[in-house]
Amino acid sequence: MHEIFSQLAGLLTHLGEKPILVIPLLGGEVRLDWMTILMSWIVMAILIVIALLLRRSLNRPVEEKPNRVQATLDALIDLLRSQLSSNFSSEELGKRMFPFVSTLFLYVLISNWIGIVPYLTSPTQDLNVTFGLALLVFFLSHWLAVRKKGIRRYLRGFAEPYAFMVPINLVGELAKPLSHAFRLFGNVLAGSILTTVVMAKIFPLAFPAGLNIIFGLFFGGIQGFVFAILAVAYINVAVES
Amino acid sequence: MLQEAESVASGISGADIVAAAKYIAAGICMGIGAIGSAIGEGIAAAHALDGMARQPEMQGALLRTMVLGQAITETTGIYSLLIAIVLLFVV
Repeated sequence: MHEIFSQLAGLLTHLGEKPILVIPLLGGEVRLDWMTILMSWIVMAILIVIALLLRRSLNRPVEEKPNRVQATLDALIDLLRSQLSSNFSSEELGKRMFPFVSTLFLYVLISNWIGIVPYLTSPTQDLNVTFGLALLVFFLSHWLAVRKKGIRRYLRGFAEPYAFMVPINLVGELAKPLSHAFRLFGNVLAGSILTTVVMAKIFPLAFPAGLNIIFGLFFGGIQGFVFAILAVAYINVAVES
Repeated sequence: MLQEAESVASGISGADIVAAAKYIAAGICMGIGAIGSAIGEGIAAAHALDGMARQPEMQGALLRTMVLGQAITETTGIYSLLIAIVLLFVV
């Protein structure tokens, strides 16, 4: 019983004892988790290398017939556009936000999927990563809202519909990045805890592979999509309402 | 009988009771916490299916909205999962 808990504690990167990089900074210190940083750099490298490889075969005149890579990428972009950025209520905002939400989706998707490779962990299994992404969406949405509406109308938006609703509106706004981050983190963590428990104790041979398909690929894909579409919804609500 | 129970009880320290309480609390937290989100997600799926049966051409939009709503409903379940994890590994 105890060794299974120590294994699980090793999974909980931000809770358990893990190799941690300590950087002294301005009298204090910054603690960074090696594994999370390494894994997020691997995910970024995968995305960048695939993008560069695919771009090479697109470097050709427009008049020619589209080749296979171009047709595939067209379908992918069409899919992302129709599923994600078409949910913006204005066309112009959707066009501007399309690269951001697509990148967010692809990053979270690859982060979730990389956890099914043995000896690799998902970077989204660390609350710091998901919270960073959620805060990015949070600040971006409010910055865009201030730019679109002006600071006066933006601040007055908190007093809607009545002035005494200000604290409720503030709490509602601050709860958004929290739930946004915890949802992704909790789902990925629950999947890896379940897989670890089954692999360590119950049936180590083929059953965890099925669990990996369900939790890693299926829920990972759904959670990546949900994370991106919630980012779309939060930005849209902040800017358009 | 009473003496037996007392001799067993004397071997149990306070830390044991806390450990047992931790596991029980985590189990209760997860078990009860999952009820609400499970019912909510089921209701969302049922109504989305109703809509799809009535208007099959709306399937894409309904599926997207259903998944989004279910993900938001799931948040309470995820919160109880976090509480259970904190109870098991941190407290």
